[in-house]
Amino acid sequence: MAKRTFGTNPWTKPGSTSAPPTKVIARPRRTAEVQAYLPEFFRGMAVTMKHFFKNTKEMVLGQKPDPVIESLNDGVTTISYPEERRPYAERFRGLHRLTLRDDASPRCVACLCCSTACPAQCIHIEAGEYEEGDPRRGYERYPKTFVIDELRCVFCGFCVEACPCDAIRMDTGMHATPYDSREQFIYRKDLLMEFTGRDGSRKTANTRHEPGDPTHPGLTREQGEH
Amino acid sequence: MATIKIDGREIPFEQGDTIIRAAHRAGIDIPHYCWHPGLSVAANCRMCLVEVLPPPGRPAMQLDILRWDPEKKDYVPARKPKLVPSCQQACAPGMEVLSDTSDHVEEARGAVQELLLLNHPVDCPICDQAGECRLQDYWLEHQRSGKRMRQEIVHKPKATPFGPTIIYDAERCIICTRCVRFTAEVAKDPVLSVRERGNLNEIVVSPGRQLDHNYTLMTEHVCPVGALTSIDFRFKARVWFLRSARAICQGCATGCNAYLDYDPRTNTPHRYRPRDNMEVNKYWMCDEGMLSYKRAVEGRLSMALVGGEDAGVDDALAAAKEQLAGHGDDPGRVAIVLSATHSNEDNFALLTLAKTFIGAKDLYVSGKPLGQGDDILMSADKNSNTRGVMALAGASSPKPFAELIDAIHAGKYAYVIALGAELEVDAQEAKNALSKLKGVVTIAAHEGPLVSAAHIALPACTWAETDGTYVNRQGIAQRSERALLPRGEARPGWELVARLGRALGYAMSWKTLAEVRRALSPDETTGVPRDAAERALVQKPEVSA
Ligand code: SF4
Ligand code: SF4
Ligand code: SF4
Ligand code: SF4
Ligand code: FES
Repeated sequence: MAKRTFGTNPWTKPGSTSAPPTKVIARPRRTAEVQAYLPEFFRGMAVTMKHFFKNTKEMVLGQKPDPVIESLNDGVTTISYPEERRPYAERFRGLHRLTLRDDASPRCVACLCCSTACPAQCIHIEAGEYEEGDPRRGYERYPKTFVIDELRCVFCGFCVEACPCDAIRMDTGMHATPYDSREQFIYRKDLLMEFTGRDGSRKTANTRHEPGDPTHPGLTREQGEH
Repeated sequence: MATIKIDGREIPFEQGDTIIRAAHRAGIDIPHYCWHPGLSVAANCRMCLVEVLPPPGRPAMQLDILRWDPEKKDYVPARKPKLVPSCQQACAPGMEVLSDTSDHVEEARGAVQELLLLNHPVDCPICDQAGECRLQDYWLEHQRSGKRMRQEIVHKPKATPFGPTIIYDAERCIICTRCVRFTAEVAKDPVLSVRERGNLNEIVVSPGRQLDHNYTLMTEHVCPVGALTSIDFRFKARVWFLRSARAICQGCATGCNAYLDYDPRTNTPHRYRPRDNMEVNKYWMCDEGMLSYKRAVEGRLSMALVGGEDAGVDDALAAAKEQLAGHGDDPGRVAIVLSATHSNEDNFALLTLAKTFIGAKDLYVSGKPLGQGDDILMSADKNSNTRGVMALAGASSPKPFAELIDAIHAGKYAYVIALGAELEVDAQEAKNALSKLKGVVTIAAHEGPLVSAAHIALPACTWAETDGTYVNRQGIAQRSERALLPRGEARPGWELVARLGRALGYAMSWKTLAEVRRALSPDETTGVPRDAAERALVQKPEVSA
């Protein structure tokens, strides 16, 4: 067979006609101790039982060290998830929630800033106008539908940054539950409005006084009959 | 020509120009709110302040001021030059103006911004002007700092209806009086005025009146901020999602230049915005025209119709061939109906089919009936291309549709091939007459009397779905750009004519718009002097104010 010449392609190594050298690996020694597997079996069981009794004792006596602190030490840390959870950092971005005003109306004004900023394009909002008689009618809108596809979300937090109304937050402290169908990851307005912050409160960071809020000083003058 | 210098750049000006107008024409932007090239000068916003250097050998006009000295921790007396509003200051030969290069001007612009935003609520997320608001833009360019006032803002009426089309928000208004001047000067119906002074002022409608003339939506468009919003557009779309196509309004024969703003994601048009064209509509459009963007999607014919039933275009063409069988034996029995609402390209295609291939002699024209007109913009003729059709047909000038009905009753015709859906005559009368014929084929974009009377109707694209040329009442040929994708099975009118011609066995080879346009030279077929036509075709919109 003619020796193949490889052109100028730097990624191709020139072929070799001889077979690569074979590496010979020695068999492990089969001592009597290994052949009679029982001693090894009991030694393994001893390790398992040592941890079993230690964990049970610590659990019963409430002596289990903090898994976070323990994880800083050498060795392997186990935590009994889901009974035991690593505490998340303060800045952890959990599932989204929609914040409410005092009168339980959504703080969101359907400005679409969050869905514009979202790199995963997973927020879908349809704007609607408030009902006749509502103090906010004609003045601002609200989200008729507000949907987040949590499965597409990359948890970047851009939506929270973009929102000018403190209406969307990722401070629930929750992470997505492992559902088994895509449908269940589509979070709608009602669900998003039910969540609270991780401390269970609905306190707002938005200091704005809006028409309809009790803090709003009201209009200086009505433009009534001329 | 006499010149002035702005920031060291020499620009020419015409007699009577103000500094801002000369700068605007030369493409230099001096920030402004209350100045509008089409309105009188109010000079009340003070955003356009510039420093005019004194003539050589003369001292500058200076003002005594107190300036904060951070070292002495006290105000110290200082002097600064007196700035002038460039929208009001007339140019004089050799004048030297400092705009962006003067620290005093920079400082003044930031201060004017701060003043304007003192009582302005930060409604931007809910404000429909967000994304195209002067306050936002200039805040970023000239201020970028917070305001120092810590008090609650002055609260003024919000969401006040001014009339059937406009909602006013007094808190967002910066009292530039553009809307007041527009209604008085352009719409010639001075219903708006300012009441109160200082930070309590607001715009009001005259007692007992509403803002309800024919140009109310323009007040929304001239408002540089979100104080006036159009009921039709508010809360419907965010402007940063919209794309604009350079369209020609189809509301009447004036052919106003407009931007058709549409959402490409949903293929929906959202509004018309006037596009500056000094020869046609200056900066304005009428309400009727502004709202006529809806016709791009409303009342559409999106499927072919055969005997009133939905059908595919191919099936309809086959049926048309059957219906029109025998038309070649006596071309004199074929009547052609051109449309004053379709583009030159569509009409030209039908004209070519009629004259060159079929040999039909008689031309008629359909269109919308006459309507209200005025001496500002609106024409009584509500068809966008009447002049174009007349010019295309040339010597064999088309007759009105009413004469076709008489001729049908006299038994003159057996076949009609028509463009357009609109009729200026009674729909029932037309239907009775057309039902006597052996074959009626209509190519139209909308449902209408001519479509319901047809045996076979083919779905054409509207002006928004295809490029087209329209000749306005002054004889200026103007091109309209495609914005939307065709709905349903709609195809451009000229293409359907060509396919109909091919189905009838004629060699109409046009496949692209460019081929049609090449055949349709502006010189010979539109009757428009070439320079005027081409000027309109290539005309660049002026920088919008
Ligand atoms: S966190 Fe990021 S990806 Fe998720 S919804 Fe918000 S913006 Fe979109
Ligand atoms: S959540 Fe915030 S950013 Fe998103 S639409 Fe509502 S108000 Fe706008
Ligand atoms: S007018 Fe401009 S600055 Fe004022 S709320 Fe509207 S977008 Fe914001
Ligand atoms: S409503 Fe708009 S155009 Fe009219 S004065 Fe106020 S800011 Fe100017
Ligand atoms: S633009 Fe000159 S003062 Fe308003």
